[in-house]
Amino acid sequence: MIRQLYGNLRLYVMSAWYSYRALYAWQSLMPYVSVKIAFPLAQMLLFIYMGRLAGLQDPLYIVIGNILLLPATNSVMGVCMTIDGERNFRTLPYLIASPAPRGPLFLGRSLVHIIDGALSTVSALLIGHFIFGLDLSRMNIGLTALTILLISATGCGLGLILGSLSLRTREAWTITSFLMMALYILCGVNFPVEILSRPLQVVAYGLPLTRGIAAARQAMAGAGWSTISSMVWGELLTGLVYVCIGYLLFTWFEKLSLVDGKIEAI
Amino acid sequence: MKSNRLSFVWKQMNVQFHMRALSVFSFGLLVVQPAMFSGIGYLLARMAGRAMPDLFHVIIGGGIMGLWSSLVFTSFFDISNDRREGTLELIVGSPTSLGSVLAIRTLTNILTGTISLALSFLVVMLVFHYSPPISNLLPIVFSLGIMLFAFWCIGLFLAHFQVWSRLSGTFINYLELPIAILAAFMFPFEYLPHWIRWLSNMLPIRWAVTALGTSFQPVIEIQNLWLDWLFALGISCVYLVITWYLSSRVHDMIRVSGELHSV
Repeated sequence: MIRQLYGNLRLYVMSAWYSYRALYAWQSLMPYVSVKIAFPLAQMLLFIYMGRLAGLQDPLYIVIGNILLLPATNSVMGVCMTIDGERNFRTLPYLIASPAPRGPLFLGRSLVHIIDGALSTVSALLIGHFIFGLDLSRMNIGLTALTILLISATGCGLGLILGSLSLRTREAWTITSFLMMALYILCGVNFPVEILSRPLQVVAYGLPLTRGIAAARQAMAGAGWSTISSMVWGELLTGLVYVCIGYLLFTWFEKLSLVDGKIEAI
Repeated sequence: MKSNRLSFVWKQMNVQFHMRALSVFSFGLLVVQPAMFSGIGYLLARMAGRAMPDLFHVIIGGGIMGLWSSLVFTSFFDISNDRREGTLELIVGSPTSLGSVLAIRTLTNILTGTISLALSFLVVMLVFHYSPPISNLLPIVFSLGIMLFAFWCIGLFLAHFQVWSRLSGTFINYLELPIAILAAFMFPFEYLPHWIRWLSNMLPIRWAVTALGTSFQPVIEIQNLWLDWLFALGISCVYLVITWYLSSRVHDMIRVSGELHSV
């Protein structure tokens, strides 16, 4: 039991390490830093200007929402890209054929994206503070950090579900990219979920990230644990459900692919 | 000779259309993504207590965004794909110039991108019951034509980047939103701070989009419109000349050094 646990942990860490070496270690610092600054800044600016056109005077709701979606974007896209990348580089059949447990193998690769997401959030917070005047003085630092990590982790469940599609279709990455856009509408990033129609609100609260982003907003405004605990537990539960669904979907698609031999045929 | 050229154009467009336009990715770029941007604009207006959004910037701006995104992610990555599939050398080595191939591909991508624009016009007219003043029809059509030309010139310029350097891929990926901001697709140009406007003014699509916006106004200030048209056309031509000059320089260079694949 302990040996198996150690083996899984080792696989998890090694997958994360190889993922880091494949995706980040070869990059020079300057392009990485500029991407970390340029992308969040452009995203915030576009939505702020759109908000101003709509007649919103205070851009901070949009700024905070976009900062908080960054770790989720990293983890959803990261996990999906991990599985889709194996397909693109023709290594997916080898992984499917290997006896290694799927959970630590694929979730380990997402660890790097979780850390990267946290770094993106820190850089975006600094942009928010220095460029848009975001007040960080009242922030409950511990709870904000906790909620940001939680958003990163729960995003992995959604990423696992979308990444599993790679086993059955070559368009998984495309589908993920466009579904990510829907998160800007559904998860309370640019406007509160209450603005949405009733059916869309149901969808929004059925997604991970919605409660996490709301909790992080409160923590950034200085709220304590008693105020956000229900949202944090709700987010954790939703995230766990998504991870379980993602894992089950992956194993089901894997079996289907082994039966009909169509891992790379579609 | 003339029929040969037409046949070449038709074949290129046909291949390009089948390879790029008929894909899930293109559907997402042309339909889903603009709809999401417009949806955000619409909901922001609702949040601010407005029943009706600014139709030009929120809905038609979304369509222009779709056109731009499809241009960035197809025209530019056409060469990446050729490089990866090993067909870039064959294209460069063939008697037809690379510029001609890219020009037709970009034109096809632009024509495909107009689907997004057409959908946005349909939404404005059918969902929001807006009909542009009949007297503005000519300026609108003219502005649209100039805007498509400006997009074609920028697309051709970007498409050549990948021939010049494979490293350009690292930053072109991130051009989508900054250019959308600088060209003010989804908000009035006047929102941009003064210190950045010089950069916007170097983009022909910024002038073309402003001209299209002016054409939709109930009362058109014709002098401003002419100015926008002239700037859009003039700067587009400058981009064409730069593209042509750099393209011929790189062609000479790679033929001498044989380094096409390593550039």
